Amino acid sequence: MERFDVVIIGSGAGGAPIAARLARAGHSVLVLEKGPLLRTQEEHPLGVSDFKRDELFATGAEKRLTLSGVANRFDSFYGSHVEPDLNDEPHIYEGADGLDRATIEGYTAQVVGGGTQLYGAVSLRFSELDLRLGSFNAGRNDIVGDPNGDVRREARDWPIDYATLEPYYCEAERLIGINGTRTNQGKPFSADHYQTPYAPNPISAYVATGMDALGLPRYRTPLAVITEDHAPSGRIVPAAAEAAKTGYVNRYGDPLGLKSNTWVALLRPLSGMANFTLRANCVVTHLEMAGDRIGKVVYRDVAGRPVEVAGKLVVVACSAIESVRLLLLSGERDPAFTARLNGNGLLGRYFLTHCFGGAEAIMPGRFDKSVSLDSDWATDACASEDFIRSQGLWAGGAIYNNTSDQALPISLARTHGSQDMDTIWQTFADDTALTGDALNAFFDANFGTRLSVSFMANQVPLFDNRIELHPSISDKWGRRVAYIRKTWHSHDVHLMNVFAEQCRRILAFGGDGGKGQFPVSEFGAIYMAANARARIANHILGGMRFGSDAADSVLDPNCRAWQFDNLYVTDGAFMPTSGGANPTLTIQANALRVADQLLARL
Amino acid sequence: MVPVLAVDSEYLFGLIGKFLARDDAGPRHDYGHLDADPRAGILEPWRFPWVDAVFDPDDATQPDNAVTFVHAAADRQPGHVVHLVGSFADLHTPIPLLPLVDTHYATVTLRIRKGEVHHYRLRIDGVWQVDPINPQRMLLDNGVEWSRFFTWGATRRLVLERWESRLLQRLCSHILPFHTADGETFFKRVHDAQGPANRAPHAYRLDESAGAVNFIDKLLAREEAHHLIDYQICLELIDRLLRLRNPVIEPWKLPREVFAELYREMATASVAGWNYGRYGNPRYFLQLLRRHTLTGVFSHPRYGGNAMTLGWKYLEERYRDASGATLFDWGRAIEAPLGRNSAYRG
Repeated sequence: MERFDVVIIGSGAGGAPIAARLARAGHSVLVLEKGPLLRTQEEHPLGVSDFKRDELFATGAEKRLTLSGVANRFDSFYGSHVEPDLNDEPHIYEGADGLDRATIEGYTAQVVGGGTQLYGAVSLRFSELDLRLGSFNAGRNDIVGDPNGDVRREARDWPIDYATLEPYYCEAERLIGINGTRTNQGKPFSADHYQTPYAPNPISAYVATGMDALGLPRYRTPLAVITEDHAPSGRIVPAAAEAAKTGYVNRYGDPLGLKSNTWVALLRPLSGMANFTLRANCVVTHLEMAGDRIGKVVYRDVAGRPVEVAGKLVVVACSAIESVRLLLLSGERDPAFTARLNGNGLLGRYFLTHCFGGAEAIMPGRFDKSVSLDSDWATDACASEDFIRSQGLWAGGAIYNNTSDQALPISLARTHGSQDMDTIWQTFADDTALTGDALNAFFDANFGTRLSVSFMANQVPLFDNRIELHPSISDKWGRRVAYIRKTWHSHDVHLMNVFAEQCRRILAFGGDGGKGQFPVSEFGAIYMAANARARIANHILGGMRFGSDAADSVLDPNCRAWQFDNLYVTDGAFMPTSGGANPTLTIQANALRVADQLLARL
Repeated sequence: MVPVLAVDSEYLFGLIGKFLARDDAGPRHDYGHLDADPRAGILEPWRFPWVDAVFDPDDATQPDNAVTFVHAAADRQPGHVVHLVGSFADLHTPIPLLPLVDTHYATVTLRIRKGEVHHYRLRIDGVWQVDPINPQRMLLDNGVEWSRFFTWGATRRLVLERWESRLLQRLCSHILPFHTADGETFFKRVHDAQGPANRAPHAYRLDESAGAVNFIDKLLAREEAHHLIDYQICLELIDRLLRLRNPVIEPWKLPREVFAELYREMATASVAGWNYGRYGNPRYFLQLLRRHTLTGVFSHPRYGGNAMTLGWKYLEERYRDASGATLFDWGRAIEAPLGRNSAYRG
C-alpha cells in the first residue's frame, strides 16, 4: 500500500490550497479527484483546451432520468460536460409533497479544480459579523418570522474570529489571483492583493447609478480572474485586450486559464514536484479506520479497480454533500467508524446553502453583454448591523449584479422563464407563440437588455436540514447516493423578501437616473421556486460544522474530526453558518489556515 | 496514410473514467431507444469515437479533428489485440489500438478532416466486428454493418430522409425569424456580400433554416438518437395530412400559410387529420422542434447548424449602437477562422 504524508480527497477550493501549501513544504501529497484533468490549451497535447467557448458545453443535449423511485422519472435533464450524470450519480431531494426527485442542484463540477472550474468566480470575503451570529443574536427579540426562537437557539459563532481568518484571506487573494477593488468593502483588509479590474460592462452603469442613488457604497466585485500576469501561478495574460471578457464565464471552464480555478492557480504549479501526485478519474469509495486514525483510503482507479492508499493525515474536501456521503458510506461498513465520527448524531445535520435571489429587469438601453465577466459592482450595505437590525434580520448578505447571464443567444432562450437548472428550456419550448416576427420581438426585447442584481445571504441553520444516504437509490458503483432533506425557515423567507426588495430598488433607481420609478417586474427569491427545497445555488455548506464544543459540532476548530486523530474536512461542510457571500474564497482561506495546522503536525 | 496523433494518458483517462468505468452495467442510460442493448449501460456512448479539435499551427483554416477510438475489453482484462480499419484510410492496412497503461482499454487517436462521415470496423483478437461502444452504425451496400462517425461540421444527411429534411426545413423556417421582412433583407445582404467567388460551394444551402435541419439530423444521429423516432413518426403524419389537405402540391412546396396553420394547430395539440393513435401529442413534438431549431441556429457551427455563422451574424447585424458598432460582437470571443480571437484556438 502506498503511503503519503497527506491524502487529500477533492481538488477544489477545500483541497487544493492544502495540497499546495504542504507540497511546497516538502511533504508527500496525494490528491484524489473523481473527475478528469481538463487542461488549458497551452498544456494540452492537442494544442486546444478541453474547455470550449461553446454554449452546448455549459448545457448539453437532453437526457432523461431513468431512476426508479423518483417522481421525476422520465423527465428531461441537461448538464454541463463536467457535471455528473444524474442516472449514474444523482442527488435526490425530498420535495414539499413528500416525493423524492433527482436533481442537478448541489453539484458543482467533477473535474480537477472542482467547482472553481465552472463558477462565476465571485470571490467575496465574509463579514466580521458573519462569524459571530450566535452572540449577535443572543437575547434579541426583534427577529421577524421567528416565533419559536429558532434563530436564537440555532445561531452559532464560529470557533475562529475574522481577525484569525483575515491573513488567510489575504494569502488566498494573493495565491489565487483575483481582480477587484477594496475601497467601500465592509470588511477590514490588512493587505490588498487585488489585480486591477477590467472596465465594467456599460450595462452595469445602471447598477452603479442605483446603488449611488440609494447611498449604498459600491466596489468592483472581486472576481477570481486574472487581468494581469500572475507571478504566484506563473500565468501570463494574453496580449489581446481584456481577453477573459467573453460572456463564456459562469458555467464555463476557461480554455486560457485566466479564470483562477484551483488547477491553474494552485495545483498546476506543483506538477514538476516529485512529492506531489494528482490522480484524476479516481473515485474514493470509503475510508477505513485503525483505532483513532484513518488507516486506509480506498478508491477506484480509472479502470474501476479498487486501490488502497494511506496517509498520515487525510483531508476530505469533495464538496459538502459528497463529503458527508463519503463518511456516511464509510460508517455503513463499520459501526465503530460511525460511533467515533457521529457519536452526537450531528453528521450531515445543519446542512446549509444560501438565501439567494434578486431582481431582474429589461433596461432602457442595449449593450453587448458578451463582453463581460460575471459581475461588476457589489455592495456590503446590507451586511451592516444597522441594516440588519432595522429590518428585523438575524444576519446580512452581499448584493452584486450579474453581467454575463443571458449574454449569449442560447442561454437567453433556454433560461427564458426558467428558474433553475431543473426547468431549463421548458418555457421557451412551451412558448409556442415565439416564431418569426414574434421571435424577433423576443430578441429585441431581451438580448443585451436584461440586467439582474442578486443577493447572497445567511440561511438559518436547522437541525432537520440534513444530508442522508438515500434508502434505495445507488450510483454506478453500487453506493447509496446522497439524500437532501431541507426546507426554508420562516425567517429565511422574510430575509429573502427584504433582500429581493433591495435588489429591486437598485434597478428601479438605476433605470431612471435615480428617481426610483423604473419598472422592475421580476424580483424574488429561491423559496418561491417549484423545487425550492432542492435549490442550493451550488453553495454547498454545513453538514459537519466545526465548533469549540465536541457535543455540538462534528469538527474541532481546526476542522479535524473530534474523535479521529488524522481526519480533516475542509470543504464548505465545516461552516456552522453560511456567511453572507459566495463561499469559495472563505473555503480557500480556511483551507490555508488548516494547512498551517497540518504543517505543524508533520 | 492517416496521421496518428500523440496524446498522453491523462487525456485518454479523461475520455474513459466518467463514461465507461462502472460496476453497474444495468440500463441506466436507456431513454427508451436502446432496449436491452449493452450500450445502455454506458454513459453517453455516442461520444465514441471521441471527436475533438486539434490545433494546426501551420494551417489557419484548422482543417482537422482529432478522433480517438477506444476499446474497452469486455472481460476487463488487458492484453487484447485490437486493430481498426475505416474509410478515412487504406482499408487493407489495419491500424493498431495501443494498450492504455494499467488498464483494459486500448486507444488510437487519428487526425481526420473536418466535415466528413466515415465508417469503420474493429478487429478484436482476430475477429472483425462493429465498435461495441459506438451506437452509430450503418449498412453498406453489400449488407455488412459498420460503425459510423462524423467530424465537425459534416453536412451529409445521415438519419433523415430527403423528403423528411425538406418538410422539416419548412417547419424550422416558420419558427425562425429569417422568413420575416427583416430576415429576408439580412439574407439578401449576406448572399450578395459573399460574392459568387466566395460562396462555399455545396457546403450549405443558404436556406431559411440556417443549417438547423442539418444540426437536427446530426443530433438525431448521435446525442439525441432517442428522439429520432419522434421525428420519423411526426414527419410521416404531417406529410400524410398535408397531402390530404392538398393532393396536388408536394407537401414541402406548399405555401407558407399552410405551415403557419399547421404550426398553430400543433401548438394547441389539436390537428385536423392527425393520427393520435400513432403519436398522442403533436404539441410535444413542436416543443422538441423548437428547442432543436433554436439550438441549431445559434450553436457553434461545429455541430452542423448555424451555417456560415448566419445565426450569430443575424444578431450581430440586428443590434447596433448609434455609431453603428455591433452589440453582439461574437467574433471577438470565438476562434479563427470563424471568429477573430487571437488567443483562443477552439
